[in-house]
Amino acid sequence: MTADGGLDPVIHGPVRLRVMVTLATLRAGDSLSFTRLQELLGLTPGNLITHLRKLEEAGYVTTVRSGSGTTARTSVVLSQHGRQALDTYTATLRQLLDSASPNGTSTSPHQQAAAPD
Amino acid sequence: MSVQEAAAIVQDARACARRELVISAPVVYAAWGLVWLLGYGGMWLSVRGQHPYRGPSGVSIAVVFVLAGFAAAAVLVIARKAAVGIDGRSVLYRRFILAAWAAGYLILLIVQAVISGSVSTRTLAMMALAGPLLLAGLVYILASVLGRNRLALALGAWLVLAAVSCAWQAPAGILATCALAGGGGFLLIAAIETRLRI
Repeated sequence: MTADGGLDPVIHGPVRLRVMVTLATLRAGDSLSFTRLQELLGLTPGNLITHLRKLEEAGYVTTVRSGSGTTARTSVVLSQHGRQALDTYTATLRQLLDSASPNGTSTSPHQQAAAPD
Repeated sequence: MSVQEAAAIVQDARACARRELVISAPVVYAAWGLVWLLGYGGMWLSVRGQHPYRGPSGVSIAVVFVLAGFAAAAVLVIARKAAVGIDGRSVLYRRFILAAWAAGYLILLIVQAVISGSVSTRTLAMMALAGPLLLAGLVYILASVLGRNRLALALGAWLVLAAVSCAWQAPAGILATCALAGGGGFLLIAAIETRLRI
């Protein structure tokens, strides 16, 4: 399931890419509340839910609901599969940037950005 | 979305997430480094030339508490801001480290109180002055194991070594070691962390 020179189409969208990178900043096993993620990305709840659903269908994230009534809370966790998929995505991105540069070396800030952690 | 646009999004999202969700380690290290350097440095200056040793001046001790209070408040604000909305292992680790720190200080105070009447002034001074340095070192080693952080491990090991070296020093030397080796160690790690993040 690839597009744009081997980039994962599930991740390769501005909002979903932001969601994945934001969740990957957390330690493995940590979750981020839906409201905090929404606030960080500046999205409407509906828009974020749509993109999270696509990521969840691919097995990249898991949404966890806890509590009820006024204490209800929805959290989002990046799965191990999702972390691996993002690593593969950034590695592919770096290769594409390397092959696009005249001398094949990665020197631009964008290429540094694609480096996995 | 082009490859260049995707790379820009990765860079921007990563920087934003680190700014908002990750505790700024250089700031934390620098804050505690200044407490050790200025606080213990002030106490060291107040005991230099004392014969016999009478202990640091009240003002220099008060300065340490004020500086430590400011550092603790700053670290708390930074940690709280970064922790909003996050749940999971890192929250448990943070609580565990905080509990270890509090328990360590409590044990240190109890031991000092128990042995205060039966040991020399030098031994008591060593416990009171180098004890917190040893405790800080042990807590950083614990934190490094939980968080798999090599820099924290290096700092912890350095602080433990500095604290152990106090066993062979006079009280003024202990204060100098805490100020220079302790404060210097924190500030050096803060500088390395800052460089690694750029």
